[in-house]
Amino acid sequence: MSEDKKTGDLVPVGAEGIDTRRRRLTVAAGVVAAGTLASPWVHAQQKTIRFLNCEPSRDSVRAMKVAAAEYERVSGVRVVVDTVPPDQAYDKLQASISAGTPYDISGLIFVAHVVLLAEAGKLMPLTKMVNKHKWGPRILFPVKGEQYWYPYDYNFAWMYYRKDLYAAKGLKVPNTWDQFADNAKALTEGNNFGVTIPIGSNGAGQWLAPGFMWADGVKLLDDKWGLSLDTPPMKKKFSGYLDFMKKLSPSMPPGMSQALFATVIGQYSGGQTAMAPYAGRLMEVLEDRAPELAGKTGFFMYPDSVGKNVAVNHGYDGWVVVKTPMQEEAMKFMDWFTENQYINFLHTAPLHFQPPRMDVYEDRRWRAHPLIEKHGELVDFMRSILTRNDVIIRSVDTEGPAPDVRPGKMFESYGVMEAIQSRLIKDMPADEATELCIRKLKASIV
Amino acid sequence: MRDFTTPTDRLILGAFVLSILLVGALIAVPVLHAVELSFYKAESFISARQWVGLANYTRVLADPAFWHAFALGLGFALIAMGLQLMLGIGFAQLLNLPLRGRAFVRGAVVLPYLLPTVVIAVTTHWLLDGAYGLFTVWAQQLGFGRPAWYDHPVSAALLIIIASVWTWTPFVTITFLAGLQSIPASLYEAARVDGAGAWKRFWHVTLPMLKPVLLVVVLLRSIWMFNKFDIVWLLTKGGPLGATEHLPILSYRKAFNQFDVGGGAAVATLSFLVLSVMIAIYFWYFPLDDKGAEK
Repeated sequence: MSEDKKTGDLVPVGAEGIDTRRRRLTVAAGVVAAGTLASPWVHAQQKTIRFLNCEPSRDSVRAMKVAAAEYERVSGVRVVVDTVPPDQAYDKLQASISAGTPYDISGLIFVAHVVLLAEAGKLMPLTKMVNKHKWGPRILFPVKGEQYWYPYDYNFAWMYYRKDLYAAKGLKVPNTWDQFADNAKALTEGNNFGVTIPIGSNGAGQWLAPGFMWADGVKLLDDKWGLSLDTPPMKKKFSGYLDFMKKLSPSMPPGMSQALFATVIGQYSGGQTAMAPYAGRLMEVLEDRAPELAGKTGFFMYPDSVGKNVAVNHGYDGWVVVKTPMQEEAMKFMDWFTENQYINFLHTAPLHFQPPRMDVYEDRRWRAHPLIEKHGELVDFMRSILTRNDVIIRSVDTEGPAPDVRPGKMFESYGVMEAIQSRLIKDMPADEATELCIRKLKASIV
Repeated sequence: MRDFTTPTDRLILGAFVLSILLVGALIAVPVLHAVELSFYKAESFISARQWVGLANYTRVLADPAFWHAFALGLGFALIAMGLQLMLGIGFAQLLNLPLRGRAFVRGAVVLPYLLPTVVIAVTTHWLLDGAYGLFTVWAQQLGFGRPAWYDHPVSAALLIIIASVWTWTPFVTITFLAGLQSIPASLYEAARVDGAGAWKRFWHVTLPMLKPVLLVVVLLRSIWMFNKFDIVWLLTKGGPLGATEHLPILSYRKAFNQFDVGGGAAVATLSFLVLSVMIAIYFWYFPLDDKGAEK
């Protein structure tokens, strides 16, 4: 036994020492734990953001995962990246929301989906983030004055052509439908065809076929959401477009009613067709799989019937931030990502992910990509779509005076595509096919 | 009512209850949810729903696309099933003969059934490619030009039927083969003694003895073909011009593409009801042999 120095009580020998060690250990553990928990890094490490990526190419997935790892390193917040094909992103996002485990950030490829989500109160406004930069035309889709989507690319569809075959036949870049159809006819021989244009009731058809009709001034909706196609001048234009497609059809390979994006790329890169509509992806594929064709490939916009206007079919992709318990962290990540990783991400498809942010075109980091440097002419052409006043940029899903679900419904009714198919496959008179289209579109937006 | 006192009994009871729960969770709940959705108007699965009663049903039933899809599904089911039955019974008869290498052929004949649908679809696309497809080239060499296999409504529908028959005939063949092997040889001997030829033996011995198998195969194949989604979606996506859009595709398009969740659910529910009625009628006319239950 020994005497307690303060109280004078007798205590077992060694008990004081044991008690002191315990206390010290306890205090030390408490300090470490408290310090650890209080430290922002460890506190943040418990947080996880779920990101639904809809760009499934190997490079894009890699870039997203590298960005996620980098963000975890600098902030301690874990970013889990799941990837789905673009056309499945909305379904997956809906399912996650319905299941009560929503993704915090998602890629989307359809403005109607953004509108639906925003109107359902599921999205965080990104207006402040978006307003930091200057954007190209028709790429922001505000809902009730707020921006709910951060665009990362344009995917305009224009026409590619084989310069060597044009030269061999003495052809010129067409300015009118007739010239285009004549060129396509001249380039059709045996198993080689003039042009591949999907005409099926699918995304490929609706993205790649209507460019000619936009160039000729066709509008589906007026400024009051009325069906402007149901007016005599528009009917005439649309019927003319259908007749042009009919004229073009003998120069197209069989099976166009089932043609997909891969069909177009495969047929052009395989040398089966001399012309094909697409965005920058086609040139990337040529560089990768058929480099001998890359240097022989030129490009032009869809011409109209009289040589007055040109057009591209609109295409776009972007990200949304979903209202979740992690929304604030998701907003911080988006802010960081769009300032620090945006160009890295664009570089994963350097010609296909056309920047919608105008500052990127001047950014030396973006211009430093070898494919962007090599295809300066194509890049200038792409940029000119944004800056020229005479280029028409339209698509079925972005018709109308404001972002809305109705053009999305028209898109999914495939009224335009069924009119083309009726004209080409059933040989339906153009006027009758036009009326069919009008009925389809009207029914879809009731 | 028996007591579940032994461990085996309790295991069986547990497995039974678990299977009921699983069926309830994985089948009954989604079906009931789909039926519930059919009474609402909704543009997406997350939008606010609006109760509309039977309006989706009246709208869908008034739509010619529904009846076209219904007739198409019926046509697919009947034609494909008929062909599968004819071919399946024929192949089963052949494989039941004492031929050399029978075991190998029996194994090989199952191969199409083992292939994933997506492989079949991709292979079909390549075989029928508009310029370089093997069948296209053969058609050209035979002087038929370059057929647009997918661009014509009739040929697109035929493609689906042919692909389905090719894939599923092995299932029918194997099922009938098993049935054939269970027929006592003495019956054929007796028929031969009575002077019955091959056709009469098939008609009066084989077919009646195969009736239980036939009834099950007809039922299963009809249901599966009527509801078949994958091969149709992968080959034609319902095109061209809706020529191959049967009820499952119509339902999917409405619910997932056309911002009409209620309409899609109504189509699915109607499809379910139609199929249930057809099965009930089928069993009414062709009751399954219940001798086993009477023992």
